Amino acid sequence: MKRPKIRSPGPTLWGIGVFLIVLAGAAPWTPVFLLTVLVQLLIYATLAYSLNFITGLTGYVSFGHVVFMAFGGYALGFGVGTLNLHPVVGVALGALVGLALASGIGLVTLRFRGVYFAIATLVVAVAALYIVLEIKELGDGQGIYLNIGFEPLSWFYTIWVILAIEVALTYWITHGRIGYGIRSIKSDEDAAKTIGINAARVKLVLFAISGLFAGGAGGVYWWTLSGVFPYQAFDLNFSLQMLAMVVIGGMGTLLGPLIGAVAVYIPSYIFLTIFSGFQFIIIGLVVVLIALFVPEGIVGSLRKYIPEIRGILE
Amino acid sequence: MADAALFFTDLALGLLLGCVFAVIAHGLNLIWGVAKVVNVAHGEFIMLGAYGAYFFNVWFGFNPLLSVPIDAAIGLGAGVVFYFVILYRELRGKESMGPQSEMVTLVATFGLSLVLINVAQALWTGNNVGIPWSPGIIQFGFLQLPLGGLYVAIVSVVIIALSHVFLSRTYLGNAIRAHSQDIPAIQLVGINPTLIAAVGTAIGFCITMAGGALLTVWLPTGIYPAMGNLYAPISFVIVVLGGPGKMWGSLAGGLTLGVMIDVGQLFLGGSIALAEAIAFLTLIPVLLFRPEGLLR
Repeated sequence: MKRPKIRSPGPTLWGIGVFLIVLAGAAPWTPVFLLTVLVQLLIYATLAYSLNFITGLTGYVSFGHVVFMAFGGYALGFGVGTLNLHPVVGVALGALVGLALASGIGLVTLRFRGVYFAIATLVVAVAALYIVLEIKELGDGQGIYLNIGFEPLSWFYTIWVILAIEVALTYWITHGRIGYGIRSIKSDEDAAKTIGINAARVKLVLFAISGLFAGGAGGVYWWTLSGVFPYQAFDLNFSLQMLAMVVIGGMGTLLGPLIGAVAVYIPSYIFLTIFSGFQFIIIGLVVVLIALFVPEGIVGSLRKYIPEIRGILE
Repeated sequence: MADAALFFTDLALGLLLGCVFAVIAHGLNLIWGVAKVVNVAHGEFIMLGAYGAYFFNVWFGFNPLLSVPIDAAIGLGAGVVFYFVILYRELRGKESMGPQSEMVTLVATFGLSLVLINVAQALWTGNNVGIPWSPGIIQFGFLQLPLGGLYVAIVSVVIIALSHVFLSRTYLGNAIRAHSQDIPAIQLVGINPTLIAAVGTAIGFCITMAGGALLTVWLPTGIYPAMGNLYAPISFVIVVLGGPGKMWGSLAGGLTLGVMIDVGQLFLGGSIALAEAIAFLTLIPVLLFRPEGLLR
């Protein structure tokens, strides 16, 4: 059998690259309304790729990803509101906070496997909300109101850069030697350890990267809303949406999270304008159905049932 | 002295509350033990139980204790439906849960939980409701305890004791326990594992929804669609504290958590939120150092 070359940029990477570059080129001429929708789409795509690092690649289901996003937002709020930083610096601060938090939480919770990890992350997410509610510097129950202007182009290019780095990193990880190691952890962690893969370190690095991007995306998200509010920031619906995008698109694939983000965000945006709250019922039902009947997601199923296009999806 | 009185009052309240927590966690514990599935939508079934008690109160004037058997019956039905709709496809013919099945059930029940929250929000709005029922106060020396809470605690302990008797003294109960230990072996002695898992799940849901009804006594204005986001983590922590699959573990864990929250807020300047956060985070040291639970 001829082995595919490691890391030769495949059609998928080219496709995503062209898509992103076209978006970046078209942004200054896009109507503002459409641009804000695009910004949201890119934020969700960033979140989906972020969850993909840990849940998609290693199979560790994290319900607590909203924590990194929320603290990314709080870092932005604190940095811009109290330290008077530029919002972009605030977003970078948010990403660093996400990284630090994920390293800390991951160091402890990644020792647990399967359901215990999922429960631990869920419990951390709920506990984090209650702790933030008590912190005066973070505006306790009120949150932080920021007075930063409406600048969709800055939002767009900030999240664009974050997403571009993230996609490149996903490509580098999934298509490199380390990708084989990570997939072996997903299949059988003990077996992976016996062939010399440092599973604990690989998982921790992935979780930390995941926290970095979720923090950055959270920073941009709360920048677009010009403030951070605790109950909304720690809303577990964000975790559901991230999970939905990764599960629907295809876990652990390069293209999956982007397809998932489009497939989840665009319909939910349309529903949102018609009947608020309704979109989560639909997303939830679709997640249940996809998880039960097509656990490989869109990209995984295409790869499985139409072998001819496997090469394109690499 | 006043401080000591306050301390003992909070201790007693914590123990009473802990009994109710034990029941809601007991339902999760059973499903976890028998079907080997962690139901992430657990909190939403507590919420449904609480809304059940609320509507029986509005329609028929039932107090929460009267709603318990009705909720329990609804729970039995809900459990069977849940087992066959969500779990059956993934669990049939499996002798143990692989990581793939674990992930599928986690993601599917998480999806279900958000469906239920948002359906409840659409049907009953996001506003808090509650049941105005307070049968008075009972005085033990300086201790003043709400009589409603006392009744509920007694019913809770009875439910856990009954489930214990059922599981250890009846044929069906023994079959359920055997199922949780060794599935191939029960097939050898002619027990249908699907049936047993369905019955176990149904009983778990029955206890969960009964617990939801009992909980309403403590929630004069605290029934709302997203309440599961608080009570599901409480249940997870209790089950892990007591040890998954150990029936008395839920009572031990429930009492521990009830006391931690009620006495803890006394030392944290009256902040229940902080006490709850700390109680939740005890999950992590317990998982790290005593993953089999506090009970042996």
